[in-house]
Amino acid sequence: MKKDIFKKMQILSDSAKYDVSCSSSGAENNYKTGELGATHNSGICHTFTADGRCVSLLKVLLTNFCIYDCAYCINKVSNDIPRAAFAPRELADITINFYKRNYIEGLFLSSGIIENEDHTMNLILRTLKILRHEYKFNGYIHVKLIPGSDSRLIEEVVNLASRVSSNIELPSDKSLRLLAPNKTREKVLQPLKLARDISLERSGKPIGMSTQLIVGASPETDLQILNLSSVMYDKALLKRVYYSAYIPVNEHKNLPMIVDSKPPLLREHRLYQADWLLRFYNFKADEILNEQNPNLDEELDPKMIWALNNMHLFPMEINKVSLEELIRIPGIGLRSAYKIIKARRFQRLSFDDLKKLKISIKRAKYFIVCNGKYQKAIPMYRENIKLDFLKPAKPRELSLFDIDYSVITGEI
Amino acid sequence: MILVYDGTFEGFLSLVYEVYYKKLQASQIVKKYPNRLILEDILVIEFSEKNSLKVLDALKQKFAKKNFETILNIFMCDSASFELDLLHFIILGFKDQRQLSNINISYVLNIQNFQKELFSNVHKMSGFVRFVELEDASLYAKVDSNFNIIYFLGRHFSKRFNNQRYIIHDLKRQIAFIKNDDFIGVQNISSFEEPKISDNEEKFSKLWKTFFDSIAIESRQNKKLQQQLMPLIYRTYMSEFL
Repeated sequence: MKKDIFKKMQILSDSAKYDVSCSSSGAENNYKTGELGATHNSGICHTFTADGRCVSLLKVLLTNFCIYDCAYCINKVSNDIPRAAFAPRELADITINFYKRNYIEGLFLSSGIIENEDHTMNLILRTLKILRHEYKFNGYIHVKLIPGSDSRLIEEVVNLASRVSSNIELPSDKSLRLLAPNKTREKVLQPLKLARDISLERSGKPIGMSTQLIVGASPETDLQILNLSSVMYDKALLKRVYYSAYIPVNEHKNLPMIVDSKPPLLREHRLYQADWLLRFYNFKADEILNEQNPNLDEELDPKMIWALNNMHLFPMEINKVSLEELIRIPGIGLRSAYKIIKARRFQRLSFDDLKKLKISIKRAKYFIVCNGKYQKAIPMYRENIKLDFLKPAKPRELSLFDIDYSVITGEI
Repeated sequence: MILVYDGTFEGFLSLVYEVYYKKLQASQIVKKYPNRLILEDILVIEFSEKNSLKVLDALKQKFAKKNFETILNIFMCDSASFELDLLHFIILGFKDQRQLSNINISYVLNIQNFQKELFSNVHKMSGFVRFVELEDASLYAKVDSNFNIIYFLGRHFSKRFNNQRYIIHDLKRQIAFIKNDDFIGVQNISSFEEPKISDNEEKFSKLWKTFFDSIAIESRQNKKLQQQLMPLIYRTYMSEFL
């Protein structure tokens, strides 16, 4: 039976929603006279859904038919769910019309495996060609590469897309074998390595790539997850790793039962914080976690924990230390650090001056000296600081609704 | 002393002239003559073309390009009371340009924050503004904002809608950024008729709404966060919330 376009949209966006990546940032600003579309370096959020996530791209599956049977995936072949497929031209038309109304920055295209890998990749490629060549569309296009498809197809897609990705999903090979019998680590990484080499050869610059790891579906520790991310970043294989709190959509003997039915959002949040430390604050994975403490603390953020474990480096004199050191102080982010650098060119800064600059010292105050002065109230010992910081902890219970998610939106 | 001016950029430059040469001590600068009883002196500054041009020339000469642009940008924050801070900023700039990046001075920091707010608003609106397709295939958007942003938006869309004709209409301020085959720029719109919308429109706004609703994950619902990231003021013309 032929489904109408609204039903298709409903099914195919619903099937794509568990993919968290939606960023449109990091592409060079580009536009061509007489053509449609441009990318914006910082990325643009076009709306926010009821779960508070940024919508930047039209994120849909080309089809949710799939020949694979991955335990965690809603679209696995053994699930009895409504299925649909867009025709390449149909989807290209929707993309252009959405773009002209400024609903979106572009397209995020992924797909279930229909018939076989190459056939699926071909359909994706056809959509891209209509958009880029026929409609002269220069907006953002993110494509999920299909592991196991022909390298020539991957090459063509890489040449047309703004960013490509391939989801590793599970942090270890063992978990993959248990939960995704049709996938192996090698198979998932193959298109990423290929895409890197192709884009390097073409322009000397690797195309932006990302991956997604599901958190909480398998027994890996945060240390294992962070190590994996950090290796990917170092090898310039990936620009971004997304973490997705496991949401049970299927039952399976190898999957955990989540009793209270809430996904592990706090753990996901802490992982993003740690990931930020890796990417923007020059931390190494082994500074954040180690074999003795393989999981991130729930009560305190990872930078605070690192500082408490490295008390010998503190307190730091706000008027002297370098940018590198400033950003290692808990509570001082990149923006505050730049403000401090800018302000101290004119005068030496006191605690009051920091307040005037609207820099929050709620966390930082235990770790800094301003003009030789240290806050007196709390002695500088690990336990005292921890106690004092968590003191009003009872009223301010760690509620998920307090977490500031802005960092995981499409904006940098 | 409370100073009253006509709310225009030129009027403000005239005010700068008066303050500078008559050494006035302003405690407040307002756009409307206060209608309640105030014990302080009130001085109404009339617009003077000669004085405002003199100040404008001096600004162009003395101020670094970046700082001069800041002054223009601050005037786009037209619902904020920026006047006193801007006056001090200008006076300081005539003395020492270098000090204009000294954020330890409260009004310098305020001015920078106004500007930051303006651009963060422009950035957000560049995502949240919604166009509809008109019968003649041009694109039309209504804008409701506390900032005067259509010039910045118009510039933003001139890149991505390079082969399109479009209008960005600020109804409250009665101005529009227009780009068609022979004009690009801001125009006054004193009266207008609701334009005729293309037949396509309903299908795509309905498709968009379908997408928007089904992409949210129920078990992660968090309306508070949604509102924090996209306050209601932005939603006036967003089709998914209508």
